[in-house]
Amino acid sequence: MTDLQTREVSSSDAQPVRPAIIPAIRRRKKRSWGAAVWVGLSLAAALVPLAYLLSVSLMTQGQVSAGLLVPTSPAWGNWAAAFTESGLPRAIVNSVVASLGGAALTLVFALPAAWAMARHRTGGRTLAGLVLSPWLLPPIVAIVPVFTLLRVLGLNNTLAGLTLVYALTNTAVAIWLLEGFVRRLPVELDEAAQIDGAGEWRVLVSVVTPLLTPALVAVGVIVAVLNYNEFLFATFLTQGPDAQTVPVILSLMLGERVQDFGKIAAASLIGVIPVFAAAVFLQRWLVAGLTAGSLK
Amino acid sequence: MTATLTRQSDPRIGENRDAGPSRAPRRRPRTTWTRRVFVAPAVLALVVLGGYPLVFIALAAFTESSLGRPFQEFVGTATFESVLGDADATAALVRGVVYAVLVAVVSVVLGVATAVALWRSVRSGAIVRTLLLLPMITPPVVVGILWKLVFNPSGGLVDTVLGAVFPGGGTVSVLSHPVFAFLGVALADVWEWTPLIVLLVFAALIGQDTEIGEAAALDGAHGFRLFRSITLPAIAGVVGAAFLIRLVLAFKVFDLVYILTSGGPGQSTTMPAYLIWQAALQQFDVGRAAVITLLLAVVVTVVTLPVVAVTRRLHHD
Repeated sequence: MTDLQTREVSSSDAQPVRPAIIPAIRRRKKRSWGAAVWVGLSLAAALVPLAYLLSVSLMTQGQVSAGLLVPTSPAWGNWAAAFTESGLPRAIVNSVVASLGGAALTLVFALPAAWAMARHRTGGRTLAGLVLSPWLLPPIVAIVPVFTLLRVLGLNNTLAGLTLVYALTNTAVAIWLLEGFVRRLPVELDEAAQIDGAGEWRVLVSVVTPLLTPALVAVGVIVAVLNYNEFLFATFLTQGPDAQTVPVILSLMLGERVQDFGKIAAASLIGVIPVFAAAVFLQRWLVAGLTAGSLK
Repeated sequence: MTATLTRQSDPRIGENRDAGPSRAPRRRPRTTWTRRVFVAPAVLALVVLGGYPLVFIALAAFTESSLGRPFQEFVGTATFESVLGDADATAALVRGVVYAVLVAVVSVVLGVATAVALWRSVRSGAIVRTLLLLPMITPPVVVGILWKLVFNPSGGLVDTVLGAVFPGGGTVSVLSHPVFAFLGVALADVWEWTPLIVLLVFAALIGQDTEIGEAAALDGAHGFRLFRSITLPAIAGVVGAAFLIRLVLAFKVFDLVYILTSGGPGQSTTMPAYLIWQAALQQFDVGRAAVITLLLAVVVTVVTLPVVAVTRRLHHD
């Protein structure tokens, strides 16, 4: 929370304090109509495809084929069909469980590591350099080995297995993002706690964790969204409705013999609602978390 | 970001392995052990998702391996020879490079332009920024469905709009033409991930030292000159890092190909990750999949190393 916001606030607060620069800023802002047009175009580019998806979700198959862009009379039947016929509600529950469970485990794994690595260089440059390396290659690389491993552990085709895989896949990304936040904490705080006799665990649990709560929320949101959207592991590691997630169900709907585009569009939108809701309510944390890594 | 990524290419990486032990005498053993426990889950993740698959793939590449029964018989470099002699496989790797570079360049150009526009525009509140972020958090499977509907030859958005502009032109089927299908997948990819570039660059623009720009403006620098000589150098490092992230994401494209084209028409959208998936999970030939994976690793390294080097220079300037 972060630099992005505090700096934004302070730069606008600073104007009255330094009257000399007001003209320069004003002049720049005045000539920015071109920028406003570009922002408008970007918004259109981002939103028109999504609006078209909404539009298709309210059309019958005949209306889609007739080349309508906006439905004349909304066909809500697609939404009802998508919700009742495809096992979507169960898939949403599965997705939310795997996504939040995986994110929580990831944070438990990543916070101590991020703290030890950022504060005490535990593992040295070797660990810091290696930790992100699996991210560089397509996840398809790990799928056969991970499948074999889960079979040995008896976690094949279970939600628990998928959650565990998600927890491990995102640990590296979470460490990388959290390191930026840990570096911004004043060292004096944990030193003071240690002088008062607190051990490493105590410092981590009672001093670092409370201070980093906003960062943990931010990183948790990102990781949860990544988990919710993940398709490759989900489709390969889950075989039945007990463990299948939203992207898997959607891809199965696309594979049906007769494709009902209206129903598929409605199902996609229903599946997207949890992520979009999270993004709207947690926008500040999402932005803060995403920008933390690159701005170290 | 860059700091972390550049470390990987550091040739002196091995020297620091003994940095821990040499410092250890000053620390109490209990502390050291606690910290080792702290990083243990990270190391576990690295072993399970990095080390173990790497060993698995290296073994599979030199053996006869199927999905059900890996490592049956040592075959030496025979699989390498057959993959390198397979025109489809080498073409997929080349296609992957062209695709990744194209998508990354277009995303970064559009992303930087949008970020600068957001920064200079009066109206760029939280609502606008959240709306701009939506493509990035949409599940890739939904992004695929969305663009499949847009490109749908019977009544999709593209077909309908082009039909209205050029009446009587017949149906427009983007995804059944080799070149347009390739560009169609690329467009969906650019749509999905450009918001990440916008976000990273926008944060860098806000975070830059405004006083330098103000001083230059007072000295008479305006418009493009001000942007080129003050703003651009200030954000160059972040732009480089964003390009690197985007390049890697584009090399990993799978979901979009799977949903939009299944690699077709012909082989025109078969990207490396999709080819590996086909080899391992459709033909059950894990040995071949492992070899393509290793070749892809080499290709990704060769393409990203210059970018890493340039990004690192930009950060130090």
